[in-house]
Amino acid sequence: LKCTEKYIYYLSFQSKSDIISTVEFNHTGELLATGDKGGRVVIFQREQESKNQVHRRGEYNVYSTFQSHEPEFDYLKSLEIEEKINKIRWLPQQNAAYFLLSTNDKTVKLWKVSERDKRPEGYNLKDEEGRLRDPATITTLRVPVLRPMDLMVEATPRRVFANAHTYHINSISVNSDYETYMSADDLRINLWNFEITNQSFNIVDIKPANMEELTEVITAAEFHPHHCNTFVYSSSKGTIRLCDMRASALCDRHTKFFEEPEDPSNRSFFSEIISSISDVKFSHSGRYIMTRDYLTVKVWDLNMENRPIETYQVHDYLRSKLCSLYENDCIFDKFECVWNGSDSVIMTGSYNNFFRMFDRNTKRDVTLEASRENSKPRAILKPRKVCVGGKRRKDEISVDSLDFSKKILHTAWHPSENIIAVAATNNLYIFQDKVN
Amino acid sequence: MEVQKEAQRIMTLSVWKMYHSRMQRGGLRLHRSLQLSLVMRSARELYLSAKVEAHESEVSLPPALPSDPRLHPPREAESTAETATPDGEHPSPEPMDTQEAPTAEETSACCAPRPAKVSRKRRSSSLSDGGDAGLVPSKKARLEEKEEEEGASSEAADRLQPPPAQAEGAFPNLARVLQRRFSGLLNCSPAAPPTAPPACEAKPACRPADSMLNVLVRAVVAF
Repeated sequence: LKCTEKYIYYLSFQSKSDIISTVEFNHTGELLATGDKGGRVVIFQREQESKNQVHRRGEYNVYSTFQSHEPEFDYLKSLEIEEKINKIRWLPQQNAAYFLLSTNDKTVKLWKVSERDKRPEGYNLKDEEGRLRDPATITTLRVPVLRPMDLMVEATPRRVFANAHTYHINSISVNSDYETYMSADDLRINLWNFEITNQSFNIVDIKPANMEELTEVITAAEFHPHHCNTFVYSSSKGTIRLCDMRASALCDRHTKFFEEPEDPSNRSFFSEIISSISDVKFSHSGRYIMTRDYLTVKVWDLNMENRPIETYQVHDYLRSKLCSLYENDCIFDKFECVWNGSDSVIMTGSYNNFFRMFDRNTKRDVTLEASRENSKPRAILKPRKVCVGGKRRKDEISVDSLDFSKKILHTAWHPSENIIAVAATNNLYIFQDKVN
Repeated sequence: MEVQKEAQRIMTLSVWKMYHSRMQRGGLRLHRSLQLSLVMRSARELYLSAKVEAHESEVSLPPALPSDPRLHPPREAESTAETATPDGEHPSPEPMDTQEAPTAEETSACCAPRPAKVSRKRRSSSLSDGGDAGLVPSKKARLEEKEEEEGASSEAADRLQPPPAQAEGAFPNLARVLQRRFSGLLNCSPAAPPTAPPACEAKPACRPADSMLNVLVRAVVAF
């Protein structure tokens, strides 16, 4: 996959919904799933490329919509459980149906999405509307036949994995064995088998005996893409632990511990909370992990624990504004980060509907904007620039003009092509790169 | 002074955020509570170190002036009365016969009895910039912590069963809630992070009391 040197993208699709809380391509990139705050999942499917419309290059249209989670009430603790979908993860396709995991704060569900394009007709005992016939009126017998019908996509919940998490689930990750997956909350990580819903195996537990001694929580977790015994989890203290499930049943002792020593010149009042890692992702190769904290994205080599191999500043101009960002709660925003298919470019979101791409090879970066005003369909996205003081050039935007209510927390990258999905609050943008 | 004000403001803000997070849909978030308590602790340390700094600079101000022992104590008492919170509960600090930082926060009526004499050791010089306030452990605090520990367990037991939010109605009395929380804060043991039993009732960071916190509680009660 040739990396896009010039980062030329255009908007190919946009949709409106409730506030989008997660975005994920499936393994082929044919499907794109979004979860929202209302507990709904919307799946988009890429059109088959046709000879007549080669310039359209396969656009995404709505394929299926279903209500995954409903609000619930925990009577024991007098707490409402939000229906917001925190994460969606696809299973690799093994038959005609598609399977995905979706989770809210407490419950993970396995959904089967399948197509129905035929229906049986010609029943003996009921009529076409399904009403029972009077047996006395039946004089002949016939065999029902399957007749084509309009395509219907149905989603059915095949498994519900509930009651295994005391704290709020922040991550789910499908294992490369395709038989198990893990779910992580603030203090524990559980391992599940897809076939078994009434049991899960606890593999990480960082809850202290005395809760007053709590100093860090788990913020994200992911399985290694190829080694089914290996996973990583990140913490609120900015550290990453790599664990090997072969070492012991309870992986409280890590195999590797990744931590960068703090730069004393950057120490500030809010240092502790901005070092919290909000997302961790393995590269497709499995050689690297990428972490996102409030101001930076870091790439770590699995073989080097004492510091990252690359650090990218996402929006360093916010470093002097941390107090205001604490006041308006923005400092708690959890940004995600993604790799492109070849692991050569990484992407993450920022404020003002800006998102950033960093090319690891050329060390070039670009800031783009996802907004209806600034991107018409098929118009090329213009790189944006934030002015950090001094003279502001014509097309630049000053830090004080940034809209902090417009944040891009969730993005996704097609597994093999340069197609990206960007969730800007309640709008989903899909950008493709320009075909020459 | 600016630093003190800012730290105080951040502490008040953090208290408000912590209270507000109880009302959120989905219940109290452990991560958020932990982050808020970290900020509160940093703000508190900053406030205390700034206060000590301000006081020490006042104390050490006139080395050349004739040091009349009769002059100093009333001046110190005056300055401590000024820096002491507008808090009716605190008796005005007695004139000190030594040139120590009397630190008004120690005369909180709610606290267990404090040591009469404060440590005379100066804080390390690295505290001169407020940003480093969070780095250096507070020796004074540790001494107080030991004495507070005995009083802590009974308080903790009381705090373990707070009534659930819903039982208090949709808009629980803010003053009542905060006073209940902060009376615990003023008396409990020194563990910094919040406790969060599965009921997700996170407790604010526990540190020995000081009058600033009393002021905070009173300020919020006023609303």
